[in-house]
Amino acid sequence: MNPAEELKYLLPNSVVSVGVQTNKPLAVIRKEDLLKVAEKVKEMGFDNLSVITGVDRVDRIEVIYNLFSYRKKQNLALKVVLEHRSPEVDSVTSIWKVADWLERETYDLVGVKFNGHPDLKRILLPEGWVGHPLRKDYDMSTEQFVTIGEDGEDIVSTDGSNLLRRK
Amino acid sequence: METETLLLNMGPVHPSTHGVLRFKLRMDGEIIRDCQIVIGYLHRGTEKIGEMKTYLQFIPYTDRLDYIAAMPNNYAYVKAVEELAGVEVPQRAEYIRVLVMELNRIVNHLVFMGSLLLDLGASTMIMYGFRERENALQLYESLCGARMTFNYIRPGGVREDLPDGFIPKLNEFIKDMEKRIVDYEELVNGNEIFLMRMKNIGVISAEEAINYGMTGPSLRGSGVDYDIRKLEPYSIYQDLDFKACMRREGDSYARYLVRVEEIRESLHILKQIVDKLPEGKTINQRYNFAPNTGAPSAVTSYFPRIFTPTEGEVYSRIEAPKGELGFFVASDGTTKPYRVKIRSPSFCNLVALPKMVVGLKIPDLIAAFGTIDIVLGDVDR
Repeated sequence: MNPAEELKYLLPNSVVSVGVQTNKPLAVIRKEDLLKVAEKVKEMGFDNLSVITGVDRVDRIEVIYNLFSYRKKQNLALKVVLEHRSPEVDSVTSIWKVADWLERETYDLVGVKFNGHPDLKRILLPEGWVGHPLRKDYDMSTEQFVTIGEDGEDIVSTDGSNLLRRK
Repeated sequence: METETLLLNMGPVHPSTHGVLRFKLRMDGEIIRDCQIVIGYLHRGTEKIGEMKTYLQFIPYTDRLDYIAAMPNNYAYVKAVEELAGVEVPQRAEYIRVLVMELNRIVNHLVFMGSLLLDLGASTMIMYGFRERENALQLYESLCGARMTFNYIRPGGVREDLPDGFIPKLNEFIKDMEKRIVDYEELVNGNEIFLMRMKNIGVISAEEAINYGMTGPSLRGSGVDYDIRKLEPYSIYQDLDFKACMRREGDSYARYLVRVEEIRESLHILKQIVDKLPEGKTINQRYNFAPNTGAPSAVTSYFPRIFTPTEGEVYSRIEAPKGELGFFVASDGTTKPYRVKIRSPSFCNLVALPKMVVGLKIPDLIAAFGTIDIVLGDVDR
């Protein structure tokens, strides 16, 4: 029994379906139960959260958690499917500390809101940036310019007329 | 006595931050009470670019992530695409891939040694490190025309076969390096100032290191016996004899020693590859569309420019010199990836840094930061 099937057996109501992500077992989770499932898989030995990926599927947003167990040497991927209009899911920072930055990055670039995250703010882009670049409907035609204010804070604007630019 | 804490800004332009990284430190006298890291100054939107380029066009962009050691970046992306599309790779190509990647690991660790010692105030090692690195870079130049941004590994193989005289030059490099590494250890490892700066500084336990997402030599320095090359052998690593270098202490010195030991292991791997290197094609012939000119020096390897893997998702990871480098690639059956996500080792290793340095002084921050070995192109992407 692979870890995804084991999870389905342990939490039949939380696991929507079981599949594969090219060689790796994948479990699709009800988004309300993510925190409960995360605690369970941590108990099962999945102590390493490799990566959190947000994917904009136009009609929905998928968030994928790739996990690894150093003890059992096994892989497991969890997936939650969120509404495109307001993607929200519980934060797993209480279980894996590395999720702090991974969730901030997903929030920054894909626009997924993680409830319960201690400090959910942009990480790669400056505060005040408009839009989430990895959304498929992100406006690429509007340029945004970043300047530094008096106290060292980032100021984002769409007006680049007073910046030195190559013609 | 109650004293006020001071907010100290360090970076983004600071010689010890290896690029553009900013620390916001809350200082109580000389003691760091809180450390916040601000990144993003080098953000180039690589993942978005990945969605707008074809599978082949994206390979050069991966060179620009970890520019100290770019070959593993090439390979990690190509491996993900190969897994997605089910492309087979000839044996000779696999050997060449591992050869160039292990050579890159040596280059990376030489730069690590040099820059760490330079941060600590000893400027000799960077001269030596860069001298040896230069020999390796010249090997790369003869191989693919580039010194740092290679664009060499292709789905189905590698771009070109090894040039004439490559193996003798590589043998020379290995022989030279084996002697040099002994010199460097004598120069650095027992130095009393170095030991005082490194021992018991930036200690992190194995459980914490795993929880904070550390990987690679930084994690092995905390006593986790783990190496993706061993756990999930990719390419030809199952046929090679090497060990995962590990130390138990979890401090800066342990992380340093792990990397020095890895230079030795990589040299050992290189020697095996030179012995075993099979003859044959360097790219899957199904994808060879090159005109047959008959000239041996002509570019022999092409991959079709239009390339459409079937719909699907893959997360594929390798042991890069800095840690676990993973690429998540989702295909929707068109010529461009639907989504490319890069799990970079530098980004995740940096999460643990505040945990290591709170309660220490600023010079200790420099030492601990130097030993987790990050590069900002890899952090910000």
